[in-house]
Amino acid sequence: MYHLRDVVKTREAEGISFRLRVPSLQIAMGEKIALTGESGCGKSTMLDMLAFILKPSAIGAFRFRPEGDNEPLDIGAYWQAGKLDQLGNLRKRHLGYVIQTGGLLPYLTVRDNMNLCRNVLGLKRDGTVEHLAAELGIANHLNKLPDALSTGERQRVAIGRALAHKPSIVIADEPTASLDPYTAHKIMTHFIGLVDELNITVILASHAWGHIKKLGLRQLHHRTVRRANKNLTETMVSG
Amino acid sequence: MGIPLIKTFVLASRDYLHEWQMSFCFVIALAAVLGPMLVLFGLKFGIVGAMVDQLVEDPRNREIRPVSSGHYDHGWLDSVRSRPDVAFLVPRTRSIAATIELASERSPRNVRVELIPSAGGDPTLPPGQVPEGVTRIVLSESTAKKLQVGAGDTVDGSVARQFRNQRERVHLPLTVTAVAPAQAFSRDGAFVSVTLLEALEDFRDGRAVPRMGWAGDQATGVRSFPSFRLYARSIYDVAELANAFADLGVDVHTHAADIERVQRMNGNLTAIYWAIAVIGLFGFSFSLAANLWANVDRKRKELSVLRLVGFRTLDIAWFPIVQAFYTAVLGWTLAVGLYQAVAWIINKMMASELEQGQRVCWLLPDHYAIALALTCAAAVISAGLAGLRSARVEPSESLREL
Repeated sequence: MYHLRDVVKTREAEGISFRLRVPSLQIAMGEKIALTGESGCGKSTMLDMLAFILKPSAIGAFRFRPEGDNEPLDIGAYWQAGKLDQLGNLRKRHLGYVIQTGGLLPYLTVRDNMNLCRNVLGLKRDGTVEHLAAELGIANHLNKLPDALSTGERQRVAIGRALAHKPSIVIADEPTASLDPYTAHKIMTHFIGLVDELNITVILASHAWGHIKKLGLRQLHHRTVRRANKNLTETMVSG
Repeated sequence: MGIPLIKTFVLASRDYLHEWQMSFCFVIALAAVLGPMLVLFGLKFGIVGAMVDQLVEDPRNREIRPVSSGHYDHGWLDSVRSRPDVAFLVPRTRSIAATIELASERSPRNVRVELIPSAGGDPTLPPGQVPEGVTRIVLSESTAKKLQVGAGDTVDGSVARQFRNQRERVHLPLTVTAVAPAQAFSRDGAFVSVTLLEALEDFRDGRAVPRMGWAGDQATGVRSFPSFRLYARSIYDVAELANAFADLGVDVHTHAADIERVQRMNGNLTAIYWAIAVIGLFGFSFSLAANLWANVDRKRKELSVLRLVGFRTLDIAWFPIVQAFYTAVLGWTLAVGLYQAVAWIINKMMASELEQGQRVCWLLPDHYAIALALTCAAAVISAGLAGLRSARVEPSESLREL
């Protein structure tokens, strides 16, 4: 599904640099991948690149094959040519993204937030959202605005939104980071159960490997090196 | 494949309504700049417009009078009348012969009035109020009041002469066809046909007037007139006509100086207005652009979510454009409401200084439409540019702020 080789993202701020290097990464369809590590090690940067919302600084090869039979798409060429709308189309059709902070639109009800991706794709309302809401335990909040929900409930809505249009891949950036361990475990179990049920590829970032390794996810290798004299932190991810 | 515009429209509308307090602030901010500009333009348009209207509409400003007596025959008068810049021309008889004594059954007093030559198209008289023949006249308001008569009444007109050492007086019944407004002639007077004036002058000069049955000497020679009543086509023709008369050796009195003064004032006020308006327009545009730009910047994180779920650059740009359009229309509506209220107060305060139906502060429907179009254009351009800028930013930059 993903093939990355020598992909680099460098960020600089106030004289301090961070570099994420991906010498080689392959993700197959249906895989459940976990990217773990402490805060600031580049997990979100990695996920953003995989979600085509962050342009890599250098690309050896970056290919994406959304469907099994199709030719892989050259994401590097898309970025090079500035084809942001084509990348948007890929996200729309094939990706669901659970943001760490929820990322719900405050002016839409829970139902409409969960329906957002389906609505954008022009999918009819067929009860999927209501079914997902029931699975996630938020069925009685469907007509509320996000403001009226707790943090945990908002995260469940975000998960529901990422799954409602049945994408081929879901990327989740620490979806339970702001929750207490009990709720976090409950929501994560629900989440993995749902992607299993829908046969969706998952790439998940978390700083707590402890409670996700039980869920059977493959962990990506990474190594973070801090070079104090050069003010550079470098993380290498492979797998 | 883009997102149908209606979806962007619905989302933008829901966001606009959800943040109604913020939206209201933007609307107020826009109205606070646009409202005073409308009042300023309304005042300029009303005051200068009223002055120009007064100049244009008051026929007295178009009148051209010879300074001294001359000898103008029908041929000369016809040639002047044929000029395209002449709207109305009738000859005047000698003023000493252009009087008559009027009496009515309702009034105990006789009134001696001046006779003013008139004809169809007389700009000082309302349309349709035309003296005709030798029996139908139009009275000035003061004369009608003194004689206690109105349109349709008949008055007795009489003139006297000393002829062959005998004093003679003739009477003729005159029908009042209308009473002229006070501004047409403020003294005691009557608008009469040139025919009647000629008859009266002939009678006074001892000449016979067969059509009236008045005996006298036979007329000899070609009739000439000492003066005339002339009105230019418009105030803008007065100066040129005055020059033409000067070329013909006729000194004339005009209101050209008054016209020039008002035109100069109009020019000065217009220049001052435009100076203020241009500064105001820049201020307004920058204020609107800054507001909308700031709003789009504030919305970047939500726009990033839309970008994340597949909204394209143009779809994203439409989002703030729709909201800016709402702000522009609502701000314009509020500004027009403010303007209407202020204009009503100003016009009410100045009502005693103005004539019926006159206003100091007013705008044409076209002005409202232009203001709306400019506001919408400025809003849409500002928001569109800000939206495009926002849409081009990588969504990951603002995504985690929400």
